[in-house]
Amino acid sequence: MIDLTAELHRYLGFDSFRPGQREVLENLFAGRDTLAILPTGGGKTLLYQLYGAITHQRVVIVSPLISLMQDQVSRLQYLGSKRVVAITSAMDFQERAAILRNLNHYQYIYVSPEMLSNRNIFEMIARQSIGLFVIDEAHCISEWGPDFRPDYLRLGRIRHQLENPLTLMMTATATQRTRDDILNRMGFTATGVKQLVLPTNRSNIFLSAKICANLPEKNEQLETLVKELNGAGIIYFSSKKQTEQIAAMLSQKTDKRVMAYHGGMDNQRRFLIQQQFMNGDIDIVCATSAFGMGIDKENVRYVIHYHLPDNIQSYVQEIGRCGRDQQPSLAILLYEPNDQYLQQNLIANTIPEEQLLRYLYQHPDKLQNNDAFRVIKYYYDIGKTVDQTLAIFDQAKSRRIGELNALIQYIYTTGCRRKLLLQHFDETVEHVDPEFCCDFHTDFWGNWRQFNQQYLKSSETDQGVQSTDWHQIIDKLFLLKN
Amino acid sequence: MDLSTLYLIFGDANQDRRAKAIKNILDGRRTVSNLYWGLEYGLLPYFGALHDFDLGDEQAAVDTLNKAGLATVSDGLLYRLSSRGVDQQNQFQASVTPLNELATVAQYDIVRFSRRFIFAVQVVSEYSYSNNRYYPQTIGFFDDQLIKRWFIQNKQRNLSNYFHQLLQQFLSGLENDQLADIFAASLTGHGFSGLTEDQLAVQTDLEPTIIQLNWLKLYSRLFLLLNKDPETPLQLLLTGLTKPLMSGSAKQTFDLFVSVRQPDPATIAQLRKIKLTTVYEHLIEAAIELPLEQFPYQRLLHKQTITNLRQAAPVNVGEWQFKAAKAQIADLQFFEFRLFQISERKKGDND
Ligand SMILES: [Zn+2]
Repeated sequence: MIDLTAELHRYLGFDSFRPGQREVLENLFAGRDTLAILPTGGGKTLLYQLYGAITHQRVVIVSPLISLMQDQVSRLQYLGSKRVVAITSAMDFQERAAILRNLNHYQYIYVSPEMLSNRNIFEMIARQSIGLFVIDEAHCISEWGPDFRPDYLRLGRIRHQLENPLTLMMTATATQRTRDDILNRMGFTATGVKQLVLPTNRSNIFLSAKICANLPEKNEQLETLVKELNGAGIIYFSSKKQTEQIAAMLSQKTDKRVMAYHGGMDNQRRFLIQQQFMNGDIDIVCATSAFGMGIDKENVRYVIHYHLPDNIQSYVQEIGRCGRDQQPSLAILLYEPNDQYLQQNLIANTIPEEQLLRYLYQHPDKLQNNDAFRVIKYYYDIGKTVDQTLAIFDQAKSRRIGELNALIQYIYTTGCRRKLLLQHFDETVEHVDPEFCCDFHTDFWGNWRQFNQQYLKSSETDQGVQSTDWHQIIDKLFLLKN
Repeated sequence: MDLSTLYLIFGDANQDRRAKAIKNILDGRRTVSNLYWGLEYGLLPYFGALHDFDLGDEQAAVDTLNKAGLATVSDGLLYRLSSRGVDQQNQFQASVTPLNELATVAQYDIVRFSRRFIFAVQVVSEYSYSNNRYYPQTIGFFDDQLIKRWFIQNKQRNLSNYFHQLLQQFLSGLENDQLADIFAASLTGHGFSGLTEDQLAVQTDLEPTIIQLNWLKLYSRLFLLLNKDPETPLQLLLTGLTKPLMSGSAKQTFDLFVSVRQPDPATIAQLRKIKLTTVYEHLIEAAIELPLEQFPYQRLLHKQTITNLRQAAPVNVGEWQFKAAKAQIADLQFFEFRLFQISERKKGDND
């Protein structure tokens, strides 16, 4: 039997596992395919990294988010593995060709499901011996999920074509229905796979929501909170443009250091802002949901949602980015009645209209090479009629609206927010600390300043002010040796 | 970058300038028309210098200038700086002085060099603190590999002392602490994250675009400095950055043209299996890019044609329209007309 704790220390320098990590690794070493539901910040990357380090085998990771894949590569490098590469559609032909030629040099290979569906790339990967096949964000496989990606459905067959390597499927949150769907689509039986479900509950995060009368009131509320809340914070938006507008507004009206971050920014800028946030050079990031994955900041004290998240699952993931150090932290959802319509529009925009669908079915050549039509193309290719596809989208739409209603219900609830959230994951909380749970048990909004003083501590390491004097900067950058 | 700021910097008070062409010139869109206007406006040295930046919409930029009373605008997005525009231009140009250093950015891929340099600084900085737990930048697969290879080859050379000394000399040599601070803020490494152009803009009270232009200028200077030093351990970081003067295809056409005994565009078109009009475009590109004496004008323009053109030409040959010229010289071809304009312009520049 391998002494996993000793290996953890040897390869990664940590002394102990986070909950669930050891169990997952034990299963993998016993050769069992595993589905792991680990909360955000639960150390999913560490699982396959350590497995690869101990076994010296190659690990192939299927990951859906091209813009974030490079973050994951950096993260693995940060944790000490150097032979890491990502194959994405964002690279040019020459880069990709060079990587594919040298694929056997890499131990950790990240690939998007779209790339893996490419014959050429698949064959190059199939030529490598694969010790572990990882499916990250496995909930994308489920048509019931909001992030459904048709290419994920091919993963079952692809795994089979790769001669069934040991497989680890991971996601942060998944309802029972989603979990069953994942296994089913991957061609596993419920008994053939070890399932590990960690509690979604994060008891060190206080839950609150505020219903504002209108937009100006919401902005005012945000400004007041930002002015006074201690420590580092993330504010989530559903629009890129708004991240920039509100960041500018907050920079102007408060003395906090605020920057915007979204997937439309170039690599350099995103890198810099992440770096500044981690080093405590800025206090607050106004971001879209793209922000957070590549970040390893333990002491984020609060997460504010300026817009509604996609659904309860996303909400739980996003608030999970605060309080990784287990210290008291705060989640606030700001709401004004128009937000509901904004979200309804977003839903309407992501689901194709009947007219468009019928047009595309008549002109299927238009489905080629257009990312926006990937899902439609999938149903077209598997032979669904236009009416069947229409019905599927109608269903998806009502599901999304159902999810939106669940969020609205969460906002307007007159009971314990934690209980309501966890119901979605079939979880119950045995012990609720009424002092530190949610704004149902205490008059949080009447006393939030006191809450702030008592619980939210700004970190000493985040107090630093970056020097702007060039002499000091180069002295700081380079430690001189004799 | 803010296009209206660029329009001020590259605008003129005595000449209507085409907003679209200026944007295309800075972006490096290699068409005969853009190259020609580059020559005409004296902006050819900056051709493609800002290719890596998002320059935004020309109409909106020109409107901004117009509303602010900094320029007058006429049909076809032609603009001319007002006297207030010139004041603002002088102020901007003074904060990026000397502007012509930006020509280096058109000759070498300075943006790519700066990314390599900044990444190298991060790697060396963390290494000097014996820290291997950090998020490395990613600057594209090939350059990531390049930095890796460079670092492995050179890490025994006490790189942290080298960088410190290099930057100490370079930055004090600027004799301008604000510029030196701006440069230093572009770096990132152990315990120092660096600043974005907008953060620096707030601190220095300069436009973000001016900060970015200064970065380009300073990295150009650093590049040229290192390029002169055969001993620098940064040799590998300087490789593969030369931008070609002409497009590869135009160069092939031109080389063929000057090497055959009896050069004739139609023959070249056959030999290269390209259209005759393309041959003309390539030759015009070569004429624009090459010094006067390196292009065989006399082989393409008959003496009589030149005489006719000289007689008919207005004072401002650059703004002369082909239509007007054709009305006076019946069998004139556009190709001949353009070559004449180019040679006249170049003679003027040489005087
Ligand atoms: Zn509660």
